[in-house]
Amino acid sequence: MRSLDKLFENSSRSLARHTSRRSVLATLGQILTGAALVPLLPVDRSSRAQAAEPKGAAKGQSDDPKSCEYWKYCAVDGFLCSCCGGSSNSCPPGTRPSPITWIGTCHNPADQRDYIVSYNDCCGKTSCGNCECNRNEREKPMYRPSRNNDLNWCMASGDNSNYHCSVSVILGLSESAK
Amino acid sequence: MKTCLLRTALLSLATCTPLLAAPPPPLPAEHLTVATLPPNNPHRVYVLDEAFNNEIDSRVLLFDGDTYKRLGQIGAGFNPGFNLSPDGKTTVVGTTYFARGSRGKRTDVVEFNDNTTLSVEHEIVLPPKRAMTLPTYFNLAFSSDSRFLYVSYVTPAASFGVLDPAKYSVLSEIDTAGCVLTIPSGPNRVSSICESGRLLTVTLNEQGHEASRAMSEPFFDADKDPVFVQGIPTSDGYAFLSFLGEVHEVDLSGAQPAFHPVWSLLDAADKAQGWRPGGTQVGAIHKKLGRLFVSMHRGGEGTHKAGGTEIWEFDLKTHKRVARWPLAALKLDAVGALQVTQDDAPILFAATEKADVAVIDALTGRLRHVEKQLGQTPWLMMNP
Repeated sequence: MRSLDKLFENSSRSLARHTSRRSVLATLGQILTGAALVPLLPVDRSSRAQAAEPKGAAKGQSDDPKSCEYWKYCAVDGFLCSCCGGSSNSCPPGTRPSPITWIGTCHNPADQRDYIVSYNDCCGKTSCGNCECNRNEREKPMYRPSRNNDLNWCMASGDNSNYHCSVSVILGLSESAK
Repeated sequence: MKTCLLRTALLSLATCTPLLAAPPPPLPAEHLTVATLPPNNPHRVYVLDEAFNNEIDSRVLLFDGDTYKRLGQIGAGFNPGFNLSPDGKTTVVGTTYFARGSRGKRTDVVEFNDNTTLSVEHEIVLPPKRAMTLPTYFNLAFSSDSRFLYVSYVTPAASFGVLDPAKYSVLSEIDTAGCVLTIPSGPNRVSSICESGRLLTVTLNEQGHEASRAMSEPFFDADKDPVFVQGIPTSDGYAFLSFLGEVHEVDLSGAQPAFHPVWSLLDAADKAQGWRPGGTQVGAIHKKLGRLFVSMHRGGEGTHKAGGTEIWEFDLKTHKRVARWPLAALKLDAVGALQVTQDDAPILFAATEKADVAVIDALTGRLRHVEKQLGQTPWLMMNP
């Protein structure tokens, strides 16, 4: 990973000096995608955010999607959309899912599997203010944005970059759980 | 009987006296005024209240650690960064506004607030790229001579803006190849932290454009033990604490960063007990005394944002712990942010997770005062 980092950094630095900003931006997007194992950054997940609430209570943890202890929220830092008119995988009415996101891996005690989840922010209204949740399993500082929950992921939503709440959307089993 | 009569007479006299006295004079008419700040003192602290429950209304609160008075407020908009000018006369706030409060056209801006009036004197409108993230020393930062002001951009492509704070203009934007934040050094150098554990250092020319860049050797491993991005100012640069309690002191006084030998906050027993640093502003350093204060808690992976249940004090020369202050003994909640004044009678400010700010004698650990509810979410404190 280190050598990969070095390779990407060197290539990006070279690109930064010799190519247009649009091109550099696209390259950085690819770097982040590569670091994240699955192609997630940047990507529109709004259609997936409409999926039904997943079933299966977590044993030993809360099975309540309005609880910060719910298994899918293992690295959520923000307000739970479940308490704001949405659900653990849908944004509240009148808000917009962030077109970019970051991902994490959460363990579901109910089936003993690890899942890749996408942490989207819901944007365009001011803070929901309900059910603040701050969990940071495997979360990293902002120099690793693909694993960071301090960034406002509504940042790329233009005039809708106001942060409202956060969801956690199952993308699939993690490689280790397959 | 005589005594009884006398007592009755005295009682009725006492009862009647107030009725006989002249009423007090009416209160004088008042004049509505605007208060002015008292003369500056070294124990003032600027507290960024993110106002997380209604984040478009963040603010910087000015609090006096001597009189325990709330002196005033600087507006800070949405998800701001802020910093003080090297002379302490100006508070710069990098923020975002939406035209209709919580919606409407987005404008990113840097505002220059006069610290003697707490009024916005100037502003520079930015491209809509400002890094919206947890406040640190490095979201926006001045060069040592105040010639340049640097603003971190994340879209999520990372870059930074170079501003002219005298002419209120944007001079340039410099791509940082995925490295983030603006760590200033000298009159014209900016370092950014990279995922690879390196620092990218860009040197600027007179016009604020890139003259050269260089990448340092790695000084931490983001996989094994990441460093907090909340670097702590030292006499020659910044100290970066790691999640597992290592101290990386970076000397930025030369043309390129130099790294002091790494040392640990923890001995074997501390490690066995799971002690770690944590919070939003994990530590503070008194430069002259060479003392480091850190908020420490016991926990495992993923607890790096947990507030400290104790404050530990270290000697930066010997790397030895010289004091340990359990916060429960002071009846304080877990502490998420620390700042220390730089004078000879220093005060340690400790912001708790319940938004109280404790005023502590930094030399003795004696609790002087607890200011209840200084905002909602006081995540970063600055002292000139």
